[in-house]
Amino acid sequence: MLNILVCVKQIPDVDLVKMDPETGNLVRTGVPTLTNPLDLNALEAAVQVKERFGGKITLITMGPPMAEETLRECLAVGGDEAVLITGRPFGGADTLSTSYTIVKASESFGCFDLIFAGKETLDGATGQMASQLAERFDASQISCCFSIEDISDGKVRATRSLETGKEVVEATLPCLITVEKDNFYGRLPNLRAYLDAKTADIAVCTETNIPGLDLEKIGVPGSGTIVPKIYPPELPEPGQIIRTGSVKTDVTRLVELLAEKDAI
Amino acid sequence: MQKSDYKNMWVYIEHDGVTAAPVGLELCCELRKLCDRTGDKLFAVIINPLPEAEEKKIIDCGIDGIIAVRGTGYDFLNTDAYANAFTVLSRKYNPSAIFVGGTIFGRDFAPRFAVQLDTGCTSDAMELDWDPETGDIQFIEPAVGGKIMAVITVPELRPQVGTIRPGTFKYAPPGPRPVVERLEEEINFDPAAIRVRPLNFIPDDADPEMDIANADCVVCVGNGLKDSEHLERYRTLARLLGGKIGCTRPLYDRGILPYKLQIGQSGVMVKTKLYFSFGVSGAVNHTAGVDADVFVAVDKNPDAQIFNYCDYGIVGDMDEVCDELIAQLRAREKD
Amino acid sequence: MPNYNKITPAVAEQLRAAVGVGRFFYGDEIDPNYAHDEMPIYGKFMPEAAVDVESTEEVSAIMKICSQNKIPVTCRGAGTGLVGGCVPIQGGLVLCTRRMDKILEYDMDNLTVRLQPGVLLKDLAADALTHGLMYPPDPGEKTATVGGNISTNAGGMRAVKYGVTRDYVLALTVVLADGRIVELGKSVCKTSSGYSLLHLMVGSEGTLGIITEMIMKLIPNPVCDVSCLVPFRDVESCIHFVPKIKMANLDPQSIEFMDADIVTSSAAFTGNPIFPETVSNTEVGASVLVTFVGSDAEELDQKMIKLGEIAEAAGALDVLVVATTANKKAAWSARSSFLTAIEADTRLIDEMDVVVPVDKIPAFLIYIRALGEENGIRIRNFGHAGDGNLHIYCCSNELEEDDFKRRVKIIMDAAYTKCAELEGQVSGEHSIGHAKMIYLRESVGEDVFALMGEIKKVFDPDFILNPGKVCDM
Repeated sequence: MLNILVCVKQIPDVDLVKMDPETGNLVRTGVPTLTNPLDLNALEAAVQVKERFGGKITLITMGPPMAEETLRECLAVGGDEAVLITGRPFGGADTLSTSYTIVKASESFGCFDLIFAGKETLDGATGQMASQLAERFDASQISCCFSIEDISDGKVRATRSLETGKEVVEATLPCLITVEKDNFYGRLPNLRAYLDAKTADIAVCTETNIPGLDLEKIGVPGSGTIVPKIYPPELPEPGQIIRTGSVKTDVTRLVELLAEKDAI
Repeated sequence: MQKSDYKNMWVYIEHDGVTAAPVGLELCCELRKLCDRTGDKLFAVIINPLPEAEEKKIIDCGIDGIIAVRGTGYDFLNTDAYANAFTVLSRKYNPSAIFVGGTIFGRDFAPRFAVQLDTGCTSDAMELDWDPETGDIQFIEPAVGGKIMAVITVPELRPQVGTIRPGTFKYAPPGPRPVVERLEEEINFDPAAIRVRPLNFIPDDADPEMDIANADCVVCVGNGLKDSEHLERYRTLARLLGGKIGCTRPLYDRGILPYKLQIGQSGVMVKTKLYFSFGVSGAVNHTAGVDADVFVAVDKNPDAQIFNYCDYGIVGDMDEVCDELIAQLRAREKD
Repeated sequence: MPNYNKITPAVAEQLRAAVGVGRFFYGDEIDPNYAHDEMPIYGKFMPEAAVDVESTEEVSAIMKICSQNKIPVTCRGAGTGLVGGCVPIQGGLVLCTRRMDKILEYDMDNLTVRLQPGVLLKDLAADALTHGLMYPPDPGEKTATVGGNISTNAGGMRAVKYGVTRDYVLALTVVLADGRIVELGKSVCKTSSGYSLLHLMVGSEGTLGIITEMIMKLIPNPVCDVSCLVPFRDVESCIHFVPKIKMANLDPQSIEFMDADIVTSSAAFTGNPIFPETVSNTEVGASVLVTFVGSDAEELDQKMIKLGEIAEAAGALDVLVVATTANKKAAWSARSSFLTAIEADTRLIDEMDVVVPVDKIPAFLIYIRALGEENGIRIRNFGHAGDGNLHIYCCSNELEEDDFKRRVKIIMDAAYTKCAELEGQVSGEHSIGHAKMIYLRESVGEDVFALMGEIKKVFDPDFILNPGKVCDM
């Protein structure tokens, strides 16, 4: 039986996050949250593996207490067990310290053959968490996985997307996999699982109960990068807006201008 | 750790033994400018040999030296041997920064050696700056869906690692330096320890419609598109203009057009003579991917950011404007 | 047939002067799309002129000119109709209200909104939400204008709980055929004050007057909602399930029916297979999507548990929950894409939107499927199973157009007869236009059809308003 870990993240709806023009801070209060869409694709891949090859899926996330919602959503579609890492000292972590924290916390829940993670998150969008997790798990890695052909004899055979085509690869377990969404659209939970997930036990990891956790390696102190400044993008001066009164005449003018520039 | 003990910047040159991937050259050109300010030397790291002519192209980008790595384990691109090579090299030479092109492979292995070296890693910077007071590179990149620009630094650790998307910086070689150092390194990695092995490669079907990076004209459709049903007119317009259709990320997310047509920092960077955007709001992540001689924007929102990037703009219903354009271009053809 | 006049250059100049610059179109200037709606199979008819109006006064001025000159006027919104309702079959002038797209004011004490007819349904819905309010009618075509919705008395998915567009129209400003401006209705909940010309205007398809402003009723937006997808092995068991939901007193907001075919097309079209085609290795024949609203999650859970029980008893393959925002969005966009998905992969298409008593749905669907098979026409359907309103599409990619029309005529004739037999109505929400007139006549009978004609004459003695539609044959 495969022991599978799926790493998920609850993110704010980035379309609704605004920047406070006075303070220059991001306003996230009251912004609805969602489970990072690519994490759901990764979970679907894990569930398909579980259905085909047998296994147990452990979900793990790090975030504020409300990130529990994401775990319940994922439990409903095929997770068996869920771990929430939460606590102030973990806040402000970059990928270096987050990957450390997740790997450290997961050790109490087993030794994993397969780790699934989203290709990137919509909020942070660094796209480097998966590689850093793979490194810390001492795992091989298949990124942009398109389909999983076989898992046997301690190896996984899969097809991944590269810039110019698809490559069939064989990787040793443990292996970390990120997926393309094509074959891994998330499924709807069934009612029983949905209701069960609402009351399922969720293991909570804090800075005090993770064995061997080095507090210097978590949160802000453990981060390699900081964000000293954010600012609104500087916009170039607007171009020439054509306003002649009607679509027809606007377009006529545009065609004239483009013709003058030899652009058409 | 003393930051001052770490000197010089490196660029990894991804290659297939025949040609160097353009992103490595782009990075060398951009970092030449940065190194001139910081006083660092710029080295290209080439693993496995590259033909002389290709090496010359890299030298033309103004590098101060080449670190040429040979050894076992590099027969095909793999994160295990390549990440190891950088860890070994970095421990030996203590570079201040290592830049890796943000290809699929680059994004796979660079974050891994950053962990091995226990240092900070950034991705997708669009601009690079330098703070003389701290000596830190400022990696400037759009965040939160392009609503803000974030400055990211690695304040205490070295090397500073960054992956940069292909096409972010221009390939404009300043010419060779009078002296170019050459360091030869042998780093062996046990091929048996490589954990991911390629079995077979199936190239994508060559579909010219999917190759938009260098099309003469691109008609880009954004999230303003009501649904797929309304897409056909934009294909018609693109055909009339001898161009190709592209899209922004939301249209890919909505499943309306394939990833290969997504224009912007996390998709295709396009260089084109004429660029039309319809129903595109103008987030930085998108506009960063557009290099156009003439840029026309159409959107119903007069305050849309896209109008800041265009040469000519029309405020109106995208479908109506497109239909009218088609009609007038057809009439013009007849004349 | 009254004798209409053509729009001469002189009259054209009068019309041009009646509106602002760039909003009058004559001859070649006219948008060719004005010749049809979304059902081009009923024929294309170009107007002689078109005008984009911006105010009640402009509409009045135009109607005065047209009534004096006996020029037919066909009112058009977004042109998303399905029965040729906004198509100028007698030529003349197309009067387009799309630029009258302002939401004028909300009355937060009485929960009403005053707006212009060209506001798109999706824009009203979104704007009302920002005020914490919901506009309950929810027709599938979100890019239709609200004015068009009133003219056809559009229904939509939520009709099973909230009723149809008519139930939300409180007052209308209407320009009559001769240019007079009248106000119908008041912003009150009850009225017992003479004939309701307001309700006569609703669903009159631009044949009695031109709506230029309206006051609509809104309701507080429900706190939470959830949907359940209930897949079945076959269409029959799925359809038989629908009355049971109603019997269980679960008060769903909508009950939408979809067959396997349409789910496949929509998945291909939207690129997101949110509705499963197989459930526990069994192929899904048809599904219903049931939506509940409530004041808290607990209430919704209870409804879903009850639904689960009756679904199991009815032989459902499973009950799936659409609860997250992302899944709701995907389900909604899939459901909204059904018609466009059919259009995208079908060359020839004709439709009917009959409404039958809910318990008669299975009988009707089984009948029409057999009819389709007999005549070599692919029948695809989805619809508002909760209220008996069925959207039935006759499709073919192989047949010649004439042959297709001939076969569809046989099906339509038989289907409308069957519909009448089952005590149903010709149209649930797409209305009559010029495409369904004969079926309306058969359905309501000569006496009622003649009364409709008399009413038309009172409002429009010269028959210049949208001639050849509804009861004008």
